[in-house]
Amino acid sequence: MERVNVGPGVYLTRLEAEKFNRQRIAIHFQFPNLREDATAAAVLPLVLERGWAGCPDMTRLSRQLAKLYGANLGVDATLNGGNRVITVDISGIKNEFALEGEDLSGEYAKIALGVAFRPYLVEGVFDPEAVEIEKQKLAQRLETEINDKRLYCVRQARRIFFSGSPAAVERDGYLEEVPGVTPQTLKAVYDRMISTATIDVMVQGGDGEEVRRQLEEYLTGLERNPAPLVENLAMPATETLHREEYFDMVQAKLCMMFTWDKPMSAADLNAARLAMALYGGSVSSRLFLNVREKQSLCYYCSSTCSTMTGAMVVDSGVEPANAKRAEQAILREWENLKTGEITDEELEDCRRSLLSGMDAVGDSLEGEENWYYMQICRGEPLLPPSRSKEALLTVTREDVRRILQGFHYSLGYLLTRKEAGYDSL
Amino acid sequence: MTAFNRVAETMAYKTITLPSGLTVLVRPMPGYSAVHAIYATKFGAIDRDFTVNGKTVHLPAGVAHFLEHKMFESEDGDAFSKYAKTGANANAYTGFDRTAYIFTASSKIDESLDVLLGMVGNPYFTEQTIQKEQGIIGQEIKMYDDSVDWRLMMALFQSLYEHHPLRDDIAGSVQSIARITPEMLYDCCTAFYRPENMVLALAGNITEEQVLAACARAGLDKPRDPVEVRRIFPEEGPLPWRKEYEISMPIVQTGFGLAFKEPPLEKGNLKREIIYDLLPDLICGGMTPLYRRLYDEGLVNPEFDGETLLVEGATCVLFTGESQQCDRVLELLREEIARIKAQGVEPELFTLVKNQLYGEAIVDMESVVDAASSMASAHQHGRTLYQGIQTLAALTKEDVDRELATMLDPETSVVVRVLPQKS
Repeated sequence: MERVNVGPGVYLTRLEAEKFNRQRIAIHFQFPNLREDATAAAVLPLVLERGWAGCPDMTRLSRQLAKLYGANLGVDATLNGGNRVITVDISGIKNEFALEGEDLSGEYAKIALGVAFRPYLVEGVFDPEAVEIEKQKLAQRLETEINDKRLYCVRQARRIFFSGSPAAVERDGYLEEVPGVTPQTLKAVYDRMISTATIDVMVQGGDGEEVRRQLEEYLTGLERNPAPLVENLAMPATETLHREEYFDMVQAKLCMMFTWDKPMSAADLNAARLAMALYGGSVSSRLFLNVREKQSLCYYCSSTCSTMTGAMVVDSGVEPANAKRAEQAILREWENLKTGEITDEELEDCRRSLLSGMDAVGDSLEGEENWYYMQICRGEPLLPPSRSKEALLTVTREDVRRILQGFHYSLGYLLTRKEAGYDSL
Repeated sequence: MTAFNRVAETMAYKTITLPSGLTVLVRPMPGYSAVHAIYATKFGAIDRDFTVNGKTVHLPAGVAHFLEHKMFESEDGDAFSKYAKTGANANAYTGFDRTAYIFTASSKIDESLDVLLGMVGNPYFTEQTIQKEQGIIGQEIKMYDDSVDWRLMMALFQSLYEHHPLRDDIAGSVQSIARITPEMLYDCCTAFYRPENMVLALAGNITEEQVLAACARAGLDKPRDPVEVRRIFPEEGPLPWRKEYEISMPIVQTGFGLAFKEPPLEKGNLKREIIYDLLPDLICGGMTPLYRRLYDEGLVNPEFDGETLLVEGATCVLFTGESQQCDRVLELLREEIARIKAQGVEPELFTLVKNQLYGEAIVDMESVVDAASSMASAHQHGRTLYQGIQTLAALTKEDVDRELATMLDPETSVVVRVLPQKS
């Protein structure tokens, strides 16, 4: 593994990929997620994915990828706390499997770096036709958000919980702002990204030297002024708020949001991992064993937490008439872990499951890349999972309690039938 | 070494049939830390009527799935708590024609294998434990009731088939699972959980010796008494049960499905099976003119797709998506199907789709999960992975054009719309 600086705020990381059948290149652009640019920044990946200067046509590009034995190109946006990450990635089979001896590595590098650094422009801005089509796609996606009730419930809860913070800025932008996105505004957002983002190019297998050569070529002449990224954040503790929304649905969805009140640090990570495994992140967890299996109060009930936002989310699908009971049961399990007994057996069962998961990180290209990129985002040195395993082995039940005790219950968001809300119970 | 030889090497795995009748597939993957194991039976939601050793059994909908849940319990505790001692990540799933129990682990592999083979080999059911499971599964059924995609797919099956058990939800209904008894579950175990109806597939950091030793510990190295099983499927005519159907849900955009009832695929016809696999990409995949038109005109989103389902007694091709103008999409889709049937597939597109499938087959052997899943799935379809890639390599555009003439007959098609509920 090697990470080198190839320009202001631009890094190239090479990872071993000997055992895999594929090779992969990922180009991450990370930058503060500004409210005013959110909608254009949501349209950007959709337009970039359609083509680039070397192959502007979307269908031709699909055919080019198929010719490379179904290489997979993606341009996606994710949020890291108050930052937005736009990732261009390509993966495909290694050269040795090419039936005609083609240089697949070189083609992958050309396409991925081309999509990232040489978009197809018409008179200096993005193609107006492509922008209009992709704006329509984004609008449709935003309009149909309620079709997936589980996801919708979590999103609604996050909107209230993170209100006023950089983490509240929507990944997919805002429906009412879609018409205002133009080829010009999109180009301005792209230019800001190219100039100010922290850029991490991760290469797994393939020809790392060729990627570096092409990358350096693109960087030549680029004015780079990397902007400081948004630090880890946490919402202030507030009195618990309950909100309901009504749909004619069979199973109610309950999303509970908790804040740690102060930003978490990278040092809290392993304790937080074990705390989640114990509370609701595994089949050995209290929420799974007690709330689901013993009390049959929900079909799914799981907890996750993010050190970047200091937030814990408990997401569950419940019988509408049981929503209040489910909420109380979820809170009871949290209380029990904070102050009650945590047996050696359950602690070690959960630790074992996490250790096993860390062992398997290196068995997938995407898993391995994500492992190291997350370390980069957290500002940590790049260490293999084996080093995190050592750290995880030192986490005590007191560390776990400290994490769980640090949370405050801020919001319960319930999606249910009209006659079965909190108030009617 | 040529590329094709390298592919043959990549697709290789060991196949062993034990005296008990169990098929074991092992693929050691050097350099990998984890092992993925699948213990699967050819018994799924559509297996509702059968005879076992002369006894006729009729099952209510949802028994295979219910049994999958119950397999995790035994007299000495549940399998999840046993897996917790090995660190394995375990799960199970039930499909229309199979049930699979899986784990992924990177340590204590032998112990995890003992848990897997032990839980499936020693079923334990009582009235009380059955009653408890009905609550959890009831919740699961309700969760799917809110899923647009699932409701659409089930409505398509219910429109295509008058009698075939594909009509019923994999998990059954709250009413049907209330009728399940311990005796039914034991009958299913005798009929379908016998080793000769099962496959054990493993890929990753594992050796053949380890697997065979685990099988021996579970008694799978010894012959079993023969069991006579006959599956019974209802007669089903060639035409769909109803041509059009509508449901409404609290959504904002209409979901639609166009499905074709195909003649059931005869066993061993791998070429036709692969052509069914290619069809969606040839008709409406990202490289087709139809997809481009629908996409650019804002008529569909990227989720618009096609798929084929091949199970005993039923083969069908489904196209599903959501659109504000679903009738226009359906019209264009039907036109394209008629065109391609009359004029044949575009030669460049055929080559590219074939290329793509070749790449996917190689990619499938990269992860321990995908490799074991592909091996088990190929076995349950009566072939090896290499036979699949060989058939693909030999496939010509003329083969596709010829078979296509007998597929996707408009007379056998049905349409389902999921409409936004009026508030």
